[in-house]
Amino acid sequence: MRIVVCAKEVLDPDAVNNYALSGGLAIGDDGRTITSSAIPRLMNAYDEQAIEAALRIKEAGADHTVTVVSAGPDPAAILKHAVALGADEIVSIPIEDAGIDYHVVANLLAAYVRSSEGAGLILCGRQASDDDQGVVPALIAESLDMPLISIARAVALSAGGTVRVTRVTPDGNEIVEADCPAVVTISNEFGEPRYPTASMTIRARRTPATVVTMSDLGDVDLAARVTLVEQSVPIVQGNCEVIDGESPSVIARDLVRRLHEDGILS
Amino acid sequence: MTGPVVVCTWAGEGEAAELLTLGRTVSEALGTDLVWLVIGVTADDAAETAKRYGATSIDQIDNNRVAASEPDATVEALSQNCSKRSPRMLLFSQTFNVRLIAPRLGGRLGSPVVMNATGIDAESGKLLRVTASAYGGDTQVVYEIQGDAMPIAALMPSAVEPQKSTAQTSPAVDVFEPDLSGVEERIRVLEPAHAEGPRLEDAQTIVAGGRGLGSPENFRLVEELAEALGGMPAASRPIVDDGWTDPSRQVGLTGKIARPALYIAAGISGASQHMAGCAASKTIVAINSDPDAAIFRYARYGIVGDCLELLPELTRAVQER
Ligand SMILES: Cc1cc2nc3c(=O)[nH]c(=O)nc-3n(C[C@H](O)[C@H](O)[C@H](O)COP(=O)(O)OP(=O)(O)OC[C@H]3O[C@@H](n4cnc5c(N)ncnc54)[C@H](O)[C@@H]3O)c2cc1C
Ligand SMILES: Nc1ncnc2c1ncn2[C@@H]1O[C@H](COP(=O)(O)O)[C@@H](O)[C@H]1O
Repeated sequence: MRIVVCAKEVLDPDAVNNYALSGGLAIGDDGRTITSSAIPRLMNAYDEQAIEAALRIKEAGADHTVTVVSAGPDPAAILKHAVALGADEIVSIPIEDAGIDYHVVANLLAAYVRSSEGAGLILCGRQASDDDQGVVPALIAESLDMPLISIARAVALSAGGTVRVTRVTPDGNEIVEADCPAVVTISNEFGEPRYPTASMTIRARRTPATVVTMSDLGDVDLAARVTLVEQSVPIVQGNCEVIDGESPSVIARDLVRRLHEDGILS
Repeated sequence: MTGPVVVCTWAGEGEAAELLTLGRTVSEALGTDLVWLVIGVTADDAAETAKRYGATSIDQIDNNRVAASEPDATVEALSQNCSKRSPRMLLFSQTFNVRLIAPRLGGRLGSPVVMNATGIDAESGKLLRVTASAYGGDTQVVYEIQGDAMPIAALMPSAVEPQKSTAQTSPAVDVFEPDLSGVEERIRVLEPAHAEGPRLEDAQTIVAGGRGLGSPENFRLVEELAEALGGMPAASRPIVDDGWTDPSRQVGLTGKIARPALYIAAGISGASQHMAGCAASKTIVAINSDPDAAIFRYARYGIVGDCLELLPELTRAVQER
């Protein structure tokens, strides 16, 4: 079966977090683009786990191939990383604007699957750590008329062509099944992705990406539905009262007394 | 007259008052009606709530499959309701199921979809603007809605302060019967999730621990204080990932969204992705050895110190009272 994994390049969310907390996150003159140049670009962590999920399915037997596709201004680096992890094929869909409408991205990804050999299983991350939308996989599923199973912590294929998924829900684990083709989104509970080995990294250097252009994709709806027009760092107004005292036990009793006075503890 | 603003909630889930408040602001700005679409059996006081928050009418879908959020049935039922109502905009409150249903419905209808919404800027004759959080709350973005298709937005919990309407309405309940005869669920549930014991989402008191606890054994200190307070223990993601406690205890962007009266955070730095799951708590108490830790910005009370010393003392102080 052909497994297609969708992977997005994002700004390292931990670095963004550090800059935002220190008040140093730079937004460009356009009012919407993060311009702090020291922030590394990397593969969305959930997408790395989606690749891991695909590789584990492949290793579990049968004749599967893993294709990793990315749409973005310059997906070359993360696609090389995908090969180093073990992807068989990498596909780049160049788009100019990093802030492009995620609806258009979904249309492009769906059109790629349709215009290539199709897919028995499409794996995505549960959300991109930059926009946090978690919308693209659902749009791909609707466009290709596939079921969508979200927030997976385990995925397995059966010989009969069904996919079995353990989902993480607020009420605990849920096990579901659907006939392939299907779209599944991977959550962080899936576990750590592997590290590339040295020989795989060398292989990655030699493996070129298939570049897909608009004309390869046929008729794609490129009309923007949402446009990112502003981005800013929200300011958290603190009003913290620091409780101090000569010993932990004095501090503890002081805090408990105040919580009682405030009516929070009864 | 354009179509109404429709706000959709599942009975007993989500924050209807918050969503109705947002929906009313938008519908007033656009000069259109506000319809409250309730899924499942409406509570006795639904009409009262609708009146107080200014809904013009209530649509009710009382269908088991939709009430259970079976995806194919729900997307079909909602799209049928949209054909009937032709809404100007459709709003949800962002629950776990809505995270799946809203974007699929968007795909079905060709709609713009914005999740994690925190506000909507509507003005007649202008493009709608939806404010949403990004980077786990590190940044806030504004999306401008393009095209003519009905936009869908999902509102983050606690993003809007509920506000009653000054003008009272007298909404009538209209039962909407979707035709789901042709819809077979493509996803088969083999083992349903069954919540064991109380849920963090419902807890009134939570004591949460993070990497500052130093080692897995010390999570016990969090559990002991939680027990003394009659509350629940919780955790930040790194210590869940490292197996110090169960994933069901994770609070944050990719974990549980809690809104207790009291949230005690011990050895947690206060990354926005963590705060996304607890910032709505009424009172946050932070215990952290680093006086510059971000958590203190969200806290009502802060203790700068070693949580390994303070947690047992707090347990004792609570037990003594
Ligand atoms: C896409 C994405 C999603 C995420 N989702 C979540 C999520 O759902 N939930 C979540 O929690 N995180 C999430 N994270 C991770 C988040 O960004 C932070 O990395 C994480 O919350 C940090 O956990 P922490 O505060 O326990 O650890 P750290 O950041 O390492 O902080 C430990 C804190 O303990 C303090 N400390 C150390 N020793 C002591 C001591 N003895 N006494 C008192 N204080 C001490 C330190 O000063 C420090 O502030 C996500 C990240 C990403 C990128
Ligand atoms: N530009 C992109 N290229 C490839 N995959 C993407 C892209 N954008 C989103 N995805 C996939 O869709 C998932 C959810 O993204 P989002 O809806 O933007 O939060 C990601 O984890 C990826 O698997």
